[in-house]
Amino acid sequence: MSAGGTIHRGFGLSDLGLRQTFYTFLSMSKKTVVEFSRYPVSFVATFAQTLMILAMFMLAAIVFMGSESGLSELAGIMVYGFILNMFLIFVLWEIGFSIREEQYRGTLESLYLSPANKFSNLISRVFAIGSWTVVMVIAALAIVNYYVGGLPANDVMLALFVLFFSITGILGIGFVVSAIVLRLKESAELLVSVLQFFFMIFCAMFFPFYALPDEILNYVSRWIPLSYGVDSFRSILVGQTPELIANVGIEIVIVVLFGILSPLIGYFLYKYNERKARLEGSLAEY
Amino acid sequence: MAGPIAGLGYYEKSARTSFGVFSSVLKARFRIVSRYKGALLMELFMPIVFAALPILLGVSIASGGVDVGQNWKDTTGTADFKAYMLIGSSTFMVVMLMTWLVGFWLRREMVSGTLESVWVSPAKKYLIIGGVTGYALIRAFVAFVLSFVLGSFVFGINLFQGNMLMAAMFILVGLLPLWGISFMFGALILRIKEADSIINLLQWVLSFFMGVFFPITVLPGFLRLIAQSFPPTWMTNGVRAALLDVSFFFETWYLDLAMILVFAAVFPLMGYGIFIATERRMKKTQGMGMY
Repeated sequence: MSAGGTIHRGFGLSDLGLRQTFYTFLSMSKKTVVEFSRYPVSFVATFAQTLMILAMFMLAAIVFMGSESGLSELAGIMVYGFILNMFLIFVLWEIGFSIREEQYRGTLESLYLSPANKFSNLISRVFAIGSWTVVMVIAALAIVNYYVGGLPANDVMLALFVLFFSITGILGIGFVVSAIVLRLKESAELLVSVLQFFFMIFCAMFFPFYALPDEILNYVSRWIPLSYGVDSFRSILVGQTPELIANVGIEIVIVVLFGILSPLIGYFLYKYNERKARLEGSLAEY
Repeated sequence: MAGPIAGLGYYEKSARTSFGVFSSVLKARFRIVSRYKGALLMELFMPIVFAALPILLGVSIASGGVDVGQNWKDTTGTADFKAYMLIGSSTFMVVMLMTWLVGFWLRREMVSGTLESVWVSPAKKYLIIGGVTGYALIRAFVAFVLSFVLGSFVFGINLFQGNMLMAAMFILVGLLPLWGISFMFGALILRIKEADSIINLLQWVLSFFMGVFFPITVLPGFLRLIAQSFPPTWMTNGVRAALLDVSFFFETWYLDLAMILVFAAVFPLMGYGIFIATERRMKKTQGMGMY
């Protein structure tokens, strides 16, 4: 209840302050954690799947190189790109696709009728899987590190700074996807799958950027802000000059701007589409 | 019309009605999937994207001065790693479709609440499942051919190299044991219901052991043995050997094909047996309607 117990028009006794926003986030996060905890096999399967994918690429790389010398740097490029890929995949599926699930279950409209903060509602969807992703990333890093005899790790703090803003930027992409999901409905799964592979290839998450043809590099990859996140994150850790812009400082500025602007723009688009769906009465349609 | 038979109503047990059940299920599946053109399109591009990732990795290593073609040839027998990857990812798509389509059908019927109705109908179960698996079989084969042709254009691979007829034979015969594996996946869905993540994992396990992106010879001995007990490994290698300069596991094509035929005789029977046993158990304990 608000300090004065004021009843707001359309919001009942709900307190629209930061406290309510935080508690909405906390309650929704708790709900997703409880939901996830009911499927422990799913957690283990996701982790095992992650290791399987990494192993497949590592083995292919060993055959390509003919020996295991120089594998450490290449493994760094693959694994550090893979980390961002994992966050991207989980955000796309958890934020974007969970909206679709709520539509399917018929709970989306009820949620929107409640005075709970919508931003907290969206963010809380990635809390459980985000935390699990961190655990998986650490475990995967430890295993690959052991296998290749030490991954390059130069400026870890700066890399974590870049990773943080890359993740907030990815959250913005998740909001945009949620906005589109509200309109697309059944085609949402296809959209998320296409986006997942689009970023995987054009942001060069499993290989260096110079593997891409010049046309793709110049006309596609360089125009995606997330590419700079991938490039700066791994070049800082591997200790090499970034591939897209030789000055890592400029790349970091782009990543920070992406990390700040992307969630704002994404949330604006989401609110716009949500309002449109509410006016049309199509929020509960599926 | 024939009179009612106890427990079967007006169902007439004949070759015509049996084929009718099979073809109706098949037709229904194709009609439903024709509504999802985007998903079908995705099926064509998925193997190309999957193959693109290791190919680009190879290209990046090559630009560092490493002779990746030669290195690849030393291990696999062919320097054409692009074709190697494309065949691997296309056969992986076949495995994914064969396993997932049957599981997905069962799960959808469970969630929609129609599985029990299908089960209490007098139609023979093997005809219904046969229709679904037949649909998966056709869809998987068409997806393989189209994605391989499309991928060959994208990666600049010579489409007409090697023995294409033999490759097609390996695929077609290789689909039969996969048919059996799809029954096993169906049994898994019946048993644990919300099995999406396990099926995903199993598909990656299969892809790892069938050597989608690398030759299984790089695996340690015991892992190689496990890999060679999977029918898809033989199918993938058979197609690669028929089209590229990769050697057959038994050095000759007919021995490899004979091995797949053995799998083809064992796996469908084993898979169907497991499925029926699971189904009986479900009917006794909780029924088919629960999900």
